[in-house]
Amino acid sequence: MFNFFFKKENRLEELIYKYLENFQLIYENFEKAVFSCISEPYCEEFNFLKEQTDKYESKADDIIEEINNLMYSKVLIPDSREDIMNLLHALDKIPGDLEIVLFMMKYQKLVIPEKFFKDVQDLIKVSLEACETLSKQVAGFIKKETGTRAFMNIIDKHESHCDYIEKRLIQKIFSSNIDPFVKLQLKELVLCMGDISDQADRVSKMVNILSMKRRV
Amino acid sequence: MYSLLGGIFLGWSLGANDASNIFGTAVSSRMIKFWTAALLASIFVILGALISGQAGIETLKGLTSFDLSQAVISSIAAALTVSVMTFLGLPVSTSQAVVGAIIGIGIINSQLHLAGLGKVFICWFTTPVGGALITMILYKILAFVYNHLKIGLFGSDQLLKICLIISGSYGAYALGANNVANVTAVFVGAGTLSILEAALIGGLSIAFGILTFSRPVMETIGKKLVSLDPFSALMVSMAVGITIHIYTIIGVPVSSSQAVVGSVLGIGIIKGASTVSIHTLKNILLAWFLTPVIACLIAILITFGSYLEYTGK
Repeated sequence: MFNFFFKKENRLEELIYKYLENFQLIYENFEKAVFSCISEPYCEEFNFLKEQTDKYESKADDIIEEINNLMYSKVLIPDSREDIMNLLHALDKIPGDLEIVLFMMKYQKLVIPEKFFKDVQDLIKVSLEACETLSKQVAGFIKKETGTRAFMNIIDKHESHCDYIEKRLIQKIFSSNIDPFVKLQLKELVLCMGDISDQADRVSKMVNILSMKRRV
Repeated sequence: MYSLLGGIFLGWSLGANDASNIFGTAVSSRMIKFWTAALLASIFVILGALISGQAGIETLKGLTSFDLSQAVISSIAAALTVSVMTFLGLPVSTSQAVVGAIIGIGIINSQLHLAGLGKVFICWFTTPVGGALITMILYKILAFVYNHLKIGLFGSDQLLKICLIISGSYGAYALGANNVANVTAVFVGAGTLSILEAALIGGLSIAFGILTFSRPVMETIGKKLVSLDPFSALMVSMAVGITIHIYTIIGVPVSSSQAVVGSVLGIGIIKGASTVSIHTLKNILLAWFLTPVIACLIAILITFGSYLEYTGK
């Protein structure tokens, strides 16, 4: 009935869901890219998937830019405006982290030794599961659905699991007899992969606080 | 016509100052644009004055009997009191200033309607208390409903915005209905205006104040309440409208500023937080006592002054 008066708000809502869809495409492409690199380093498919991930990341920036412009034209009440902007900026750090991992793999020409395959795959898988749950949690927050805390607990578990794999992997890297320079490169890569679930956990806790704040 | 200028000036300053009590929070926090708020407030103030302003006018004109010069003196005394109190930085109530001035005239005339005065005093004391109680009841009920609404974040935002516009308009209606008596009731008492003319002129002068000079007041005074979350701000806005409307039905002009302070205190009680400082409360109590006393003294002094004659010695 009042849709006519809230055109900008409706557009903003559309953009947020568009951002979340795009976020999903980024981490799905990222997963395919990393796994293709593990099985066959420097392959065509990896390059293609990396470019696709970059393209989606750039699209995410465009969506955030449009959301920014709408926010500055006074869409939503000030409290919600601030909450949503902070949330999206925090969420948008994750595609950045994913891009850094692919960038390191491509330009440092990193080849993951076979003995670390399993752990790297696990680390990526669990990190991306955290991202998937986070996407659901953010959508639930926008729709004001219940279950925000349950999602936060799931992401927290994923993050702890990732921390465990990350430490184990670094330990294995330094106990192996590979070149010391490669050891440092791999350690750096594993730490960057670990940042994904850390950031997902931070954003998830933020969503939980925002959700509690909105209850009167 | 010139004799009405004092009343029109009082109406103008009332509109400029008191619109912030109705729409201040929404405008200063940019939830509603100033011009949307000002136009809605002006329209509803006039409607309130015309449709429901009669009871307050009857009460004030019944406090004592006036001639035209005394009506003008009471308007000027009230306007001067509002100016002095504003200069002193104390929260001033136009209603108290007007009643104080009428009491001054009543003392000069040795004719005061004590039963009517008693009703007015009781209403003054119960305005902030009523504001606080209504806010607490509204908050408890509507928070329960709001938390159980099956609408998203954007839907609840839109709902809050629409409710703020509706409650602000209702508050403006109540303000016009309640406070129009402050502006022109004395001229009805003096037989210069009919009740309908008084309501129309009073409503128009308040609306003129809102349209011409309420912006700085809305944007600065409203900020004092900005720390309230949007839902609490809506509760304050609704409670102020309801409180003022109740006193309109009783027929006593009351202070919208005091109703706002009471409502904000109510929010503080519910949330267990300090929303109004002790300093602000002290100032309100001081202004409560000083406003009618100063207005009464100024009215008496002007009346005595008007009797002085130059003897040439």
